[in-house]
Amino acid sequence: MKSIKWKEVLTSNQMFIIYIIAILSLAIGMKNSAFFDFSTVITLSRALLVTLCFAICEMVVIISGGIDVSFPAVACAALYIPVKVMTDAEIDNVFLAFLFAAVIGLVVGIVNAILISILKIPPLIATLGVSSMTSGALLTFFGTREISRIPESVSALSKVFILNYTNASGATYSLTVFILVPIILCIAVHLILRYTMLGRGIFAIGGDQNAARIAGFNVIRLQFIVYIFSGVMAGIAGMIYCILCDSANPLNLMGSEMMIIAAVVVGGTRITGGHGSVSGTILGVILIALIQNNLIMLGVPTYWQTFVVGAVIVIGTSITSLKAKAVEQNQKV
Amino acid sequence: MKILKKFDHNTLSLLGMYVVVLVAMLILNPSGYYSALNIRSMFYLFPEYGVLTFGMMLCMISGGIDLSLVGIANLSGVVAAYIMVHMGGTEAGAGAIILAIVAALLVGAVCGCFNGFLIGYVKIPPMLVTLCGLQLYTGLAMVITTGPGITGLPQGYISIANGTFAGMPYTFPIFAIVTLVVAFVLKSTTYGQKVYFLGSNAEASRYSGINNLKVIITTYLISGVLGSISGILSSSHYGSGKSNYNTSYTLLSLLIVVLGGVHPDGGKGKVIGVTLAIVLLQLISSAFSILRIDTVITDLVYGAILIIALIITNVSASRAAKAKK
Amino acid sequence: MEICLKALLYGALLKRNEGFDMAEVFLKLENIKKSFGGVKALKGVNLEVRKGEVLCLAGENGCGKSTLIKVISGAHDADSGEYILDGNKVDKLKPIDAIRAGIQVIYQDFAVFPNLTVAENIAMNNSLMTGAKVMNWKRARELAIEAMKQVGANMDPDVLVERLTVANKQMVAICRAIINDAKFLILDEPTTALTKKEVENLFQIIRRLKEKGIAIMIVNHKLDEIYEIADKLTIIRNGEYVSSGDISEYDRARFIRDLTGHDIVETTYHPEKVSQDEVLKVENLSRKGAFENVSFTINKGDVLGVTGLLGSGRSEIGDAIFGIAPAETGRIVLNGNEVKIKGIEDAVSNRIAYVPEDRLTQGLFLERSIRDNMVAASIGKYFKKGKLDHKQIADDTQMWIDKVAVVTANDLVPIRTLSGGNAQKVVIAKWLNTDPQLIVLNGPTVGVDIGSKSEIFEILHELAKEGVGVIVISDDLSELVQNCNKIIVMRNGQAVAHLDQADELVNENELYGMFSEEGGEQ
Repeated sequence: MKSIKWKEVLTSNQMFIIYIIAILSLAIGMKNSAFFDFSTVITLSRALLVTLCFAICEMVVIISGGIDVSFPAVACAALYIPVKVMTDAEIDNVFLAFLFAAVIGLVVGIVNAILISILKIPPLIATLGVSSMTSGALLTFFGTREISRIPESVSALSKVFILNYTNASGATYSLTVFILVPIILCIAVHLILRYTMLGRGIFAIGGDQNAARIAGFNVIRLQFIVYIFSGVMAGIAGMIYCILCDSANPLNLMGSEMMIIAAVVVGGTRITGGHGSVSGTILGVILIALIQNNLIMLGVPTYWQTFVVGAVIVIGTSITSLKAKAVEQNQKV
Repeated sequence: MKILKKFDHNTLSLLGMYVVVLVAMLILNPSGYYSALNIRSMFYLFPEYGVLTFGMMLCMISGGIDLSLVGIANLSGVVAAYIMVHMGGTEAGAGAIILAIVAALLVGAVCGCFNGFLIGYVKIPPMLVTLCGLQLYTGLAMVITTGPGITGLPQGYISIANGTFAGMPYTFPIFAIVTLVVAFVLKSTTYGQKVYFLGSNAEASRYSGINNLKVIITTYLISGVLGSISGILSSSHYGSGKSNYNTSYTLLSLLIVVLGGVHPDGGKGKVIGVTLAIVLLQLISSAFSILRIDTVITDLVYGAILIIALIITNVSASRAAKAKK
Repeated sequence: MEICLKALLYGALLKRNEGFDMAEVFLKLENIKKSFGGVKALKGVNLEVRKGEVLCLAGENGCGKSTLIKVISGAHDADSGEYILDGNKVDKLKPIDAIRAGIQVIYQDFAVFPNLTVAENIAMNNSLMTGAKVMNWKRARELAIEAMKQVGANMDPDVLVERLTVANKQMVAICRAIINDAKFLILDEPTTALTKKEVENLFQIIRRLKEKGIAIMIVNHKLDEIYEIADKLTIIRNGEYVSSGDISEYDRARFIRDLTGHDIVETTYHPEKVSQDEVLKVENLSRKGAFENVSFTINKGDVLGVTGLLGSGRSEIGDAIFGIAPAETGRIVLNGNEVKIKGIEDAVSNRIAYVPEDRLTQGLFLERSIRDNMVAASIGKYFKKGKLDHKQIADDTQMWIDKVAVVTANDLVPIRTLSGGNAQKVVIAKWLNTDPQLIVLNGPTVGVDIGSKSEIFEILHELAKEGVGVIVISDDLSELVQNCNKIIVMRNGQAVAHLDQADELVNENELYGMFSEEGGEQ
């Protein structure tokens, strides 16, 4: 009995990702010994910080049986509109910037929720439409020019570090304070999903919506919570992205939904809903970030990046799907 | 009245929208909109996304979706450009052009088969497969181009999308042929009926002796080929092959098929509705450009139309269901 | 008779160790009426269920059983009539009030969450009931183990429900109901997807619950099962209350009469002339874990019935002949030619037809027209001269509508709007249009009204006469005895009996005996 459990653990999806990450890291490290330095952790953390926020939201949405492709548009709107308005009005307030960003996310989240839970429009198409509308409205009414000077107190946040590290060759790497956001988010989402009825309800509606309704869950309410959470977090993450770049670009994040969904699915979340974990998603994000940022260290040209990521997702999803097929065919107990 | 009865609800509402747009332009800017120049430019443009939209339509009728069409289109365009550039560039002869076109169509067929295999055999949901496919094919195009576009294409190829015959752009007959072929395939071939059966109820289709895997692979294969025709048109239109042309077409094609009366759950949809929706979208976007409205607003308008169309479809469907109860 | 005695004995046994007031009525419905639009679903139904009593609600499909369940559970409000719960008259019962009052429904699909563990599934409703905000895993496991102990189930509480068998999923649903302090448990057709062993286990559990004083209502129309478990019986027909009473008051004849409104017809099928032309010969067909060494022959004129309990191999034989789950070894000889069936395409290309068990999901395209459904299996033959001949399709459809007597306004209405009997005729006609050599029908009369039933069998007899091989797979014994001249009884994957109307009088009780008992193997 015990040995079977061990086997299950060692052949689980998450372990596969860990193996791949380990092999990839080893390969990169052998080519370039600078990789095995604490500085890699810092650069990688910075690179995947915003991605991780998006990925966690996406994971929650997918677990609930939906999908959300509107978050890049939400993030763009939530970083650009506040900065633009505040710059024009010469307001300089960090709190207001984040509040504004969150409200934009909230509004879009509510629209998504209405379309999906009340009007019963397929989530992919609904959020695609909302994404287009949000991005179109942003570009039409607020402009397309990048704002390189963002309000001072907001910008100042990019220079708040919680950790400084100087490596052997004297270069200093600093870890931004914003790393706390995804850390807190991951812990909170993990606890909510696992230990609250709200979280179990999200799993329940993703598993069988009809059964959830019969059991007495308020399905519409849960869907509202999920999409609003996703919208608000996307807004906040967008603002963080803006601060880290120290500029506001209304287009930069567009198109990132692919990578995020990829990371979530590779992390073991079933696209059909009901299954998924924070730890898996973290691993998925790390794997994708590693490929995106460090493939070049292996001597692979950057223009291979998209293809390699694509191949990783195809293989990852095929394995997940074949495993699900196997579970179906396995002897029932 | 009798003629009206022949059209279904969806066709009628599309025709209504035609009237709205055409009348509005008659009031707002008739001389610009109804000029020969504008009308001709419309004929240049819609075939490019129109052809690709039929791919989306087939997949959606079969109960799936194809989000990889733009990736297939660009990969095909890139492959075609690559072949021509390596066979003489601007001086390449007719043989090279034909080879390039055949290769491009083959690329579409292979990509489509791959999608169909993953969906029908490995049983990964179509949305995920084609989303991955988009990434994969775009990535492959990027690998071939190493980033920038491949330019220096022969004039013969460029004139496919830019040339005219007696004032009529070549693209229009291409679109017309594709439309007629798709309409014929859906209405008058065994495969066409099987697509509807598959989309209505995959299980019952299997129990009726229909080879679902074959139908799925054929569907995505045709979709891939249509994608590559669209890719040939765009690479010809832009005079180069590049990995990130026309990224807005995914949304646009989805919008058109939904507007054209194809049900997102599969099993329903007609070529006439989708064709009307393709042209309607061109009328709208052309109106925007004549009225000098910033092109970025089209995203907003398209998104809004998509959602409104879906709301109307769903509300009328649930009303119909209630009425039957 | 024997079975009746068994039921009486159970009753007597129970009366001896009752620890509660048997006479106490938990729920009483009087003259319940409910209509939807103009359709009267319930036309005055009475029902009475007492604590510690198993009531069986019987009725044919579409008689209003599910509407009645919904009225009881508060999902529908009755238009008129009295609803008396524990002695108190209730007005406007909400679903949540019904749950609070201890009314628990176990639906046919169980409404469990496949992606959650057994423990969580069992404890979920309880947490929801108490309005808990926090998920307490330890308590969920304790609750689950406690519930499993109460019903006598034994499952790993940490395993995901998607990995459970149907019977165990049902167990999870029952445990979940128990943990919610159920006073009245409604089981909607609980035995349809269970094997004989599993049914016995379920009945064991039901008896346990009954001893605890829980009122139980089982929706079922299988007579042998009703005799085994029920104390009382209530029969409804077409939304009307027909009769109710002690199970001992019903013999087979009365049961059938009340259920269908007709007297039992004890005719049997004797083909006019069975020639020696062999239509189908099956030799030593085996598929591991499903059936072993099954052999039979069908001559021109024969209608072969295959029966047995769920899991005995009866459906699996049909699946093998049609290539859904092909046989591993053995020979199938069709009209003198050996055919290899490795998949559905092989079956179809050898002109084998299959009317599946689950008509709604496997047999029909509900949203599509009669015409589309009619040609779904034969669309290829209309492809002539490079295009589909739509006129021929329309003509053939009309021909079949007339031939199998489908009642409909025209051939373009969606199948969804047809009655069960008419829809089944369309499925059969769909296959007849392929000009089959052999037709296998799995449960062809489930959810089909009496009139259509006999019409369907008339069609099958006609086919047999024309030389088409006909195999009817069913657990409805009276139907088989009346309509087949050969019957195979399956048990544990073996064909345990080959019966022939010509040699011996086949009688239903004998058949029951053949598959109900374990046959001395244990």
